[in-house]
Amino acid sequence: MSFTIVSLLPTLQNTNGDAQNAQVLAMRARWAGLEADVRAVDDAAVLPDRVDAVVLGSGSDASLEASRERLLGLHDELRRWGTEGVPILGVGTGWELLSWGIETGDGRSIEGLGILPGRAVPRAERVTGDLVVRSPAFGMLVGFENHARDYIGAEGSPLGRVLAGGGNGRDSGQEGVVMGSVFGTHLHGPVLAKNPAFADRLLTIMAERAGVDYTPGGRSEEVDGYAAAARSVQARAAGVEAPDA
Amino acid sequence: MRAGSLCYGPAILVGRLTRFAARLRKPGGGSAVPGLVVNRIAPNYLKRTLSGFPQGLVVVSGSAGKSTTTKMLVAILREHGVDVFTNPSTANISQGLTSALLEQADWRGRVPGEVAVLEMDEGHGALVMQGVDARVVCLTNVMVDQIDRFHDSEMVAGMLGRIAARAGESVVVNADDAYLERLAEKVGPDVSVRRFGVSQSVLDAAPRGLGYTETSTTRLDPAAGVVIDSVEGRTTTLLDEGRRVVAGLPARGTHYAVDAAAAYSTAKAVLGERFSGETAARALDAIPAVFGRGERVTVRGQEVEFVLVQNPASYQLNVDSIEPGTSDILFAIGSDVRDPSYFWPADASSLRRVAIVSGSKAAEAALMLAYDGVGIDRIEPDLARALDDFLAAPAPTAGVKTIVFSADSMRRTRAHLGLTGTE
Ligand SMILES: [Zn+2]
Repeated sequence: MSFTIVSLLPTLQNTNGDAQNAQVLAMRARWAGLEADVRAVDDAAVLPDRVDAVVLGSGSDASLEASRERLLGLHDELRRWGTEGVPILGVGTGWELLSWGIETGDGRSIEGLGILPGRAVPRAERVTGDLVVRSPAFGMLVGFENHARDYIGAEGSPLGRVLAGGGNGRDSGQEGVVMGSVFGTHLHGPVLAKNPAFADRLLTIMAERAGVDYTPGGRSEEVDGYAAAARSVQARAAGVEAPDA
Repeated sequence: MRAGSLCYGPAILVGRLTRFAARLRKPGGGSAVPGLVVNRIAPNYLKRTLSGFPQGLVVVSGSAGKSTTTKMLVAILREHGVDVFTNPSTANISQGLTSALLEQADWRGRVPGEVAVLEMDEGHGALVMQGVDARVVCLTNVMVDQIDRFHDSEMVAGMLGRIAARAGESVVVNADDAYLERLAEKVGPDVSVRRFGVSQSVLDAAPRGLGYTETSTTRLDPAAGVVIDSVEGRTTTLLDEGRRVVAGLPARGTHYAVDAAAAYSTAKAVLGERFSGETAARALDAIPAVFGRGERVTVRGQEVEFVLVQNPASYQLNVDSIEPGTSDILFAIGSDVRDPSYFWPADASSLRRVAIVSGSKAAEAALMLAYDGVGIDRIEPDLARALDDFLAAPAPTAGVKTIVFSADSMRRTRAHLGLTGTE
């Protein structure tokens, strides 16, 4: 058995290095003694037979339509993965494209793929900075956010409660959305590296579906120490104390 | 010849006194305060002075390479006997720029020089250039750097478009950058577009491409501009209207050859008939190795190579240029890198092992290296201690001791080791 982790549209949707979350999953699987490969998929034609997890990063607003076109070619697969419980991580505009739809500040309205509930709507001002979230499932999540839109309609199933930063906005006090094993978040960049509990949750789902055991191992203990240090520096900078939960 | 105007005498006097006062408090240090004062009491001084150079104003902007390109361009123009005013790369916002002008100004505010060559940050440039007329604008590339500030490449391209719109005579663009090519299509009918770009073989030899947000699908025809025909070590060969011009570079790497081609093409636009390829090559040969960009220095009896990381593309290129198997690497990322996320797409696995990871972003840097499969011996956030221990360690088993750092860590390193030097 070898895990296949799909990095979706890495050329259009990787502004902040969010596509590297696929590499994080593969690396942690290998440290645990499992085989794993990352496959870059820019259109349906090169889709591998086996898909254990999907990562879709954030792109620029100019590429929203182009990315949506490409994703439409994968609509059936995304639906199927979502129902079958294949972990899918959508970050920033990648998440927005998986929602019901996007309203841009310049008046465009882009229909989403409807994999996740809710929609992206313009916010008064772009928010850029540290984002610290208390998640019931993962403890404290720490990272950067950089987005021009709020997210509404995630109330029933957010990723967590905002301790510092903007998050979904509109006074919801919430961040992200979760639907089964499909996750949407504003935490951009290597969110899974900085928050190993989140990564290990995805890997555990992958392992259960594949009928193997996942126990973090190898370098992960040492590397998660770096993550803990980075998290506490960033949480403290954001004014949140007691960084690890 | 001088740029400036008679009516600024009193404002200049105040600016100079402010500068004198600033110097008393901080000996040897320049300051943006005099510029701030003059901008307040004579708000048109900057605009008038910049527009007043007899042979005009040349602006260099873009995401990466503008600092090196500006230095090369100034060297080429001076080698041709032109009297050039230029700004230190740190002084590209209006206060800093005004202060830099005041450094050179006489008591009436006139600044010596036939031509001004300014490096402009793409963010502040659009603002500073409002109402200022340039003769030639050179644009290096569009990269997604400084995401915190600009959010995305569309915005960077938009700001560069506003700077390019100030050019009255020529816009010089990197033909390999698809964003800049689209921008070049929009210049007015009276403005000529000049181009530079790499040959297919140079592109093929770059292991990961050129690092632009979008690389043009076709290469520049040698009949349509200056083509970088080859890059070998610290030497490049340019094709210019059928001539082959061989020039030295300040460090290894394709991006220095691209900077040289940008400077060469811009000098041609400025000098016209007076331009000589040989003179330009002589000027490029004479540029010393740039501090922090692959320069080797001897510190505390040890040979050390410095590698500066400024944006994802230069990070990848510079990591690739480190001799594989180099045993002693110090890697330092400071607070100037607000969010290191955008460095993640680069692949640092060729480093294999790093002796010390340091700087205020040490943990973030270690995390990034670890997921590229790089081994880490030690994390030491205190850069001074990291430097002392790194240099005190025995001579490396392979390669030279190499320090990879962000700009902030570079300044701290230089200060700690007592190194002066250019930029
Ligand atoms: Zn990397």
